[in-house]
Amino acid sequence: MKLLLIILIVTSVLTAQTYEAIKVKGEVKYQTDSGEKWLGLKQGDILNSNSVVTSGADAQVQIKTENIIFSLKELSAISLSNIKQLSRDELLLALAMEDMLNVPKKNENTALSTAVYGSKEDGINPLFIKSDNFGIKRLNGAVQLAESGMEESAILAAKETYRKYPDVKSIPAIRIFFADLLSKKGLYEEALKEFLEIQTLNLTVEQKAEVDSTTDELKKKLMNN
Amino acid sequence: MIFNAKILSQSSFGLTGLWGLSSKASVPFYNYETNTSNFSILNDWGISLTYGAEFSESINSNIYSISLSKTLSDHNLSGRFSPGYQKQFLFSTGEVIVINDTTTQSLNADYTYKELFGLGYSYKFTPQLSAGFTFRFFNQDFNREIVKPVFGDTLYLVRENLNEQINYWKGDLGINFFLNDNFSFSAASINLLNIAEQTENPEFEGYELKYETEALLAGSYTPVEFINLHLMYETSGSFQVSAAGFAAQFVYGLTAFHDKYQSPYFAGIVPAIGYKSKLFEIFLSGVKYFSDRKAEQNFSQFEDEGIHNIINNPYSYDKILLSLSFNIDGSTEQKVKLIDVELVEDIYPTFYDAYVDNPIAYGLAVNLTDEKLTIKPSLKIKDVNEAVIQSPEINIAPFDTVRIPFYIIIPDNYSAGKPVLSYADFYISVTSDETDDQLQKPMLVNGINAWDGKVSNLRYFIKRDVDFSMNYSKKLLSDNKQMLDTLPSALAPFYKAKILFDDFVKRLVYTSDPRATEEYVQFPKQTIDLKGGDCDDLSVCYSSLLESVGIQTALVDYKSNGTFRHVNILFNTGLTPGQASYITNNDTKYFVRKNSSGDDEIWLPVETTSLTNFATGWKIGVEKFNKEAISDLGIATGKVEIIEVY
Repeated sequence: MKLLLIILIVTSVLTAQTYEAIKVKGEVKYQTDSGEKWLGLKQGDILNSNSVVTSGADAQVQIKTENIIFSLKELSAISLSNIKQLSRDELLLALAMEDMLNVPKKNENTALSTAVYGSKEDGINPLFIKSDNFGIKRLNGAVQLAESGMEESAILAAKETYRKYPDVKSIPAIRIFFADLLSKKGLYEEALKEFLEIQTLNLTVEQKAEVDSTTDELKKKLMNN
Repeated sequence: MIFNAKILSQSSFGLTGLWGLSSKASVPFYNYETNTSNFSILNDWGISLTYGAEFSESINSNIYSISLSKTLSDHNLSGRFSPGYQKQFLFSTGEVIVINDTTTQSLNADYTYKELFGLGYSYKFTPQLSAGFTFRFFNQDFNREIVKPVFGDTLYLVRENLNEQINYWKGDLGINFFLNDNFSFSAASINLLNIAEQTENPEFEGYELKYETEALLAGSYTPVEFINLHLMYETSGSFQVSAAGFAAQFVYGLTAFHDKYQSPYFAGIVPAIGYKSKLFEIFLSGVKYFSDRKAEQNFSQFEDEGIHNIINNPYSYDKILLSLSFNIDGSTEQKVKLIDVELVEDIYPTFYDAYVDNPIAYGLAVNLTDEKLTIKPSLKIKDVNEAVIQSPEINIAPFDTVRIPFYIIIPDNYSAGKPVLSYADFYISVTSDETDDQLQKPMLVNGINAWDGKVSNLRYFIKRDVDFSMNYSKKLLSDNKQMLDTLPSALAPFYKAKILFDDFVKRLVYTSDPRATEEYVQFPKQTIDLKGGDCDDLSVCYSSLLESVGIQTALVDYKSNGTFRHVNILFNTGLTPGQASYITNNDTKYFVRKNSSGDDEIWLPVETTSLTNFATGWKIGVEKFNKEAISDLGIATGKVEIIEVY
C-alpha cells in the first residue's frame, strides 16, 4: 500500500506542470502554495502552477513552461497558471463561469469608481502603467500575456484582476485594449458589454470617439447576426 | 296426520329479474332474493316501493315491499317490509260434517306463508370486494277447522277452528367480487342460519317452511359497455340467465328461469324496463309463467311436492310490478376520477423545504362531466401526516385528463431514524369537501439521516439543526469575546469563522461514512457528539455553525473524480475586494463573488476534512478550488458546482 502511495505521489509530481525562471533581472519575487510571504526568485528556480510572480522597477523575468517562454516586464505580476494557450471555446467557458461564480443576483450595480492609479507616461506604451499597486501590476502582466500571443489567457487574467481590484477598472486605455481583444475573438456581446461600461468612464476625446464608434459597430454586428 | 311437503322459504328468485352487480339501476338490489349480500350502489339514502298485481282468478293488487337503504362510507344497512310476499293456500281438509242427515259441510284449512320483513348489512373492503348478510323474518299462519266431540247428556260434535302461528328467522351470507371491468362474480348461501319455532299441533306438522341449506353462484360478463350477461346457479339445480341493456337513462332486461320444481324446463321469464334519473328510478317488471296457472290444482299435489319459494312456485300467478325508488344522495356525485398516481421518489424527511416546491407525486385525473372543473388535490402519508395536506388547485376542461402535482409537508418534529414503508393516500375533490376519488400507494419514508446523494440537498441538514449550532457557536464565540471586540467589525466574520474552525478541528476526526454508505448524513449535533464524520458531515456541521452566526456559506460539490465525490465549503467574509489585504497578502487565496445586490464580496474556500487548523483548511480549500473549479474550468463544465445554502 505504501509503495502504491509513493508511486502515486511521484507520478503526480512528475506530471504536474512546472515553471522555470530561466532569466531573472532585478528584484523579482514569488508566492507559492498559497503562502503569505514574498520570496526572492532566482534564475533556475522551479515553481508550480499555484505560484504568483511579481517584478519590481527595472526588473524582468523569463519563465519557461512546456513550449512557452514568457517574459514578465517591470512592475508586473502574473499567476503562473495563466501562462497557457487557451482555445476560444475555453475562453467562452471561462467567461461564462464569471456569472456562475456569483451569488444569484437581485439587481445590477454598475457604479464604477473613478479613481485612477499610477501614472501614464506620455509618449511611451499607453498600455503600461508604472505603479506599485498590485492590481495595476496584475493588469500589466495580463497585457504582456496578450502581447505574447496568449490573448485568451490575457483576457481572463484581466477579468480576474478587475474582480479583485475593482479600482483599476477605471483605467480606460487598458479596458479598451481588452474590450478590443474580446471583439477580435468574435465575442461581440461580451465586447459590447465592456464598451458600454467604458463609455461611463472619464475618457479623452479620442478615446470617446473610438469607444462610441466601436460600440456602434458592435451593435450593428449583433443586429446582423 | 303427518305430511312431508317440501315447503322452502326462498330461493334466489327476484321479482325484478337478475341484474348481477350492474350499477345502472338500484331497484334490483332491494331484492334480498337475488342480493343476499346486500350489495348496494347507493352513496347515501335510498327508499323503494314496489306495488304489484297478481293475475289469479281475479286481479289482486298489493304493496309488495317497502325498502330503505343507507350507505355510510363503506358500510350499507338496509331494511325491507314485505307485506306482498305471501302465499295463501285454502283447501278442504277432506273431512265432512253431515247436518240433518242431508246437508253436508266440508271442513277447510287456510295455510298462509308470509315473509314480513328483512334486514341487510354489507361492507365494501375494496372497490372490487364486498360482502354482507341478510336476515329475514317469516311467519306461518295455520288455520284448520276440526270437529270436536263434546260429551254431555248427549254427544255433540262441535266445529272448531284450530290456529297456530309459527315464526321463522333465516340468515344468509354473500360475497361479491369485481375481477375487472368485464367480469364480476357473487356467491351466497341459501338457508345458512335458521331459527324456527316448532309446531305444537300435530295437524300442522309437515307444513312448516323447510330450510335445506344450499348455495348460489353467479357471474356477470360485460362484453360491451351497454350490455350485461348474467348467470346464477343454485346447488339445488335451478338457474337463471339474463341479459340487461342500457341506453342513455333507460335500462331493460330479460331473465329466464329454470326452476327444478316447476315445469316446463324454463318455467318463465321476467321482463323488466326502467328509467333512472339522478333522483329517482321507476321500474316496471313482470313474471310470466309458461304453464297454465289457472288450472285447478289438487291438494295431494301440494302435499307431495310442496313449494320452494313463497313468491315463485307452481301455484304462483303471473304478476306485474311497478317499483319506484328515490336516491336521496347527500353525498357528491363523482365528477373526477383519479386514474393513477406516479411517485417521483421516496420521501427524505429532512428535505422538508424541497417538498414545498417539488411535488412528490403526479396523479392522472379525468373530468367525468361536461363542465369545466377545479380539482383540489390532497395527500396524507401514514405515520408522517396527521392531517391531509392540500396541493394547489388545477383546472380541468370537460372530459379532459390532466396531470396533477401532489405536494407534501413534512412536520418539523418528524424524527424516525429508520426507513418506514408507509402508505400515501391521494385524494381529489371538486367543489365540496367530499372526496371524489382516492388512491393509495405504498411509499418509502426514509429515516431523517437519509440523503439522496445530491449535494444541493445537504443544505437541509445544515438548516435543520440551526438551534443547536447557534447555541454552540455563540458559546464558543463568547469565550473569545475579548479578542473579537478588539477587531474592526469588517473582520469579524473572518475571525469568527477561524475561531469556529479551530475549535471544530480540535474536537473532531475525519472518518469515512459511519454507515459505510453515501446515503447517510449526520446532523451537526450528531457530528459534534460522535466527534467525527466524513466530508459531507463535516461540511454540513461547519456550514451550520457559520450560518448560525450570520456568516453566509455555500457548498462546493466536486464531481470531477468520477465515482469519488467531494464536498467542502465557501464562506463569505463580507469583505470588499479592497479589504482583502486585511486577511491575506496573496490574491490567489480568495474569490470575488457578487452578492445578490451586485456588490463584490470576498469568499474563502475551506477544506473541512483537513482537521489541522484554519490556515491549512483554507490553503487546501484554495488550491483545490483554484485548480478544479477555476483553472480546469470545473464550474463552467459542471464538474464543480457551487450551491448556496440559503
